[in-house]
Amino acid sequence: MQSTRKVLLVDDNPADADLVQDVLTRKGCCQIEVARDGVEASKYLGSESSDGPDLILLDLSLPRKNGHEVLAEIKLNSHLRNIPVVIFSTSQAPRDIGASYGLGANSYVSKPGNLQDFVAAVNCIGDFWFGCACLAPRRNSE
Amino acid sequence: MTCADDAKRLQVLLVEDSAADCELIQRELRRCDFEVSVDIVQTEEQLRRRVRAQCPDIVLADYNLGQWRGIEAVDLLRAEGLDIPLILVSGALGDETAVECIKRGATDYVLKDSLARLSVCIPRALEEKQLRQQRKRAEQELAAKVEELARSNRDLEQFAYVASHDLQEPLRMVANYTQLLRERYGGKLDKEADKYIAYAVEGALRMQTLVQDLLAFSRAGRKETKMQKVDCNEVLRQILQVLEPTFRESGARILFDRLPTITANRTQLEQVFQNLISNAIKFRRSDSPVIEVSAKSEAGEWIFSVSDNGIGIASEHRDSIFVIFQRLHTREEYSGNGIGLSICKKIIERLGGRIWVNSEPGKGSTFRFAIPAMEATAESKPELVITSHAEYAQSAAGG
Repeated sequence: MQSTRKVLLVDDNPADADLVQDVLTRKGCCQIEVARDGVEASKYLGSESSDGPDLILLDLSLPRKNGHEVLAEIKLNSHLRNIPVVIFSTSQAPRDIGASYGLGANSYVSKPGNLQDFVAAVNCIGDFWFGCACLAPRRNSE
Repeated sequence: MTCADDAKRLQVLLVEDSAADCELIQRELRRCDFEVSVDIVQTEEQLRRRVRAQCPDIVLADYNLGQWRGIEAVDLLRAEGLDIPLILVSGALGDETAVECIKRGATDYVLKDSLARLSVCIPRALEEKQLRQQRKRAEQELAAKVEELARSNRDLEQFAYVASHDLQEPLRMVANYTQLLRERYGGKLDKEADKYIAYAVEGALRMQTLVQDLLAFSRAGRKETKMQKVDCNEVLRQILQVLEPTFRESGARILFDRLPTITANRTQLEQVFQNLISNAIKFRRSDSPVIEVSAKSEAGEWIFSVSDNGIGIASEHRDSIFVIFQRLHTREEYSGNGIGLSICKKIIERLGGRIWVNSEPGKGSTFRFAIPAMEATAESKPELVITSHAEYAQSAAGG
């Protein structure tokens, strides 16, 4: 049941995306889909063929459409708004954090600068959302 | 000094309604050692038209002009935006009126029965004007230079900030992946490869801290620092809390006097104390380190001192230690990038103070910094401290 959980990771930096994917795959808690920018993310979320992800990890500095725009779209969409969104961004600026929560982000984690802390942070995200938190049951497993 | 080029005549405009006085004055002017060319006007309108057509070098005006007073010519010239010296030529005016005229802007005042003074007054008036204009030009140049310097400084700080900010992401990639290489392939390739990877990792990690330090340094210089009333005892307490693990593992002890409350930026002051105290612990001798913090008021300044019984500093280094990235030791001996003291210096100097060290190798160091003791000015309002939601709601409602 756990391995059918899906995460949508939205990050334009392949180095970071690969690392996140690596950590979460080793954990075995979920499958990961990667979108490289806001437009790809919107397309993925909008398509009928995909079951919505169980969790969205969203970077803020994305080309074409930035993270806040994507976040707003998700939270204003009645089909998508209940999917938890974790902002995972290098920015520690209070206005970015405030704006994210203001738009309905469920959590804000700033990307740590060093490797150990980065890995630990991703592990924490996995542990919390797929261990402690009660995610909604998947639509296709009912 | 001549008030006109030999080739050029002095243009004198005479504002006079009496033909007899005109003749008197002109005769006197001819006696002067400089060449003059004299024009005469009577009324305000004539004066206005004349100065608009061609600026005289100097105006001589009678006080009594029938319909108007010569002193009004000063106002007219000012209204036309002209800086032309005006000398009042008149019969006895009385001291009060004379003073009034000077105050109103007349350069000088010559009595009709002492017209010989003109040969002295005129050059003097022209010389004053020249000096005035020179000074104005110098002031303008200075203002322009200051503005340019300020702009250049802003650009530089902006650059340092943006550069260190933008450098962080690619740096992170290098640092992360060289470490991952080490983790996953360490020992699986040959020994040379392990060495190369080790150097790459070390370089990347060092670059990361350098960039972070640069960011911190450029932040210390940014314009918008809020000034507040800061209780230094509070600041010290906070720093000691932050440094508690360091104190514990080094066995360091700290003694401190009662410190004053000063006008400064709290965050920056924390940085200064933190840097000085952690340096004091870091550069300890093997004996148990003792640090003393005190402050005294002297000649309008607060002089703080942080002294230790550590390794000390040779006097030839006492200035260079405050330079950014200057280190006196190798990385094997002591960690760090050599930025702590340069940040302290930047912060203290922006507060209008200065920082210096007295030290002897092997005998410890005393770092002192002076901050001008200022009262909170009208601009720096005391920081609002919210301690509860109820208080916030009340203050927001204007209570």
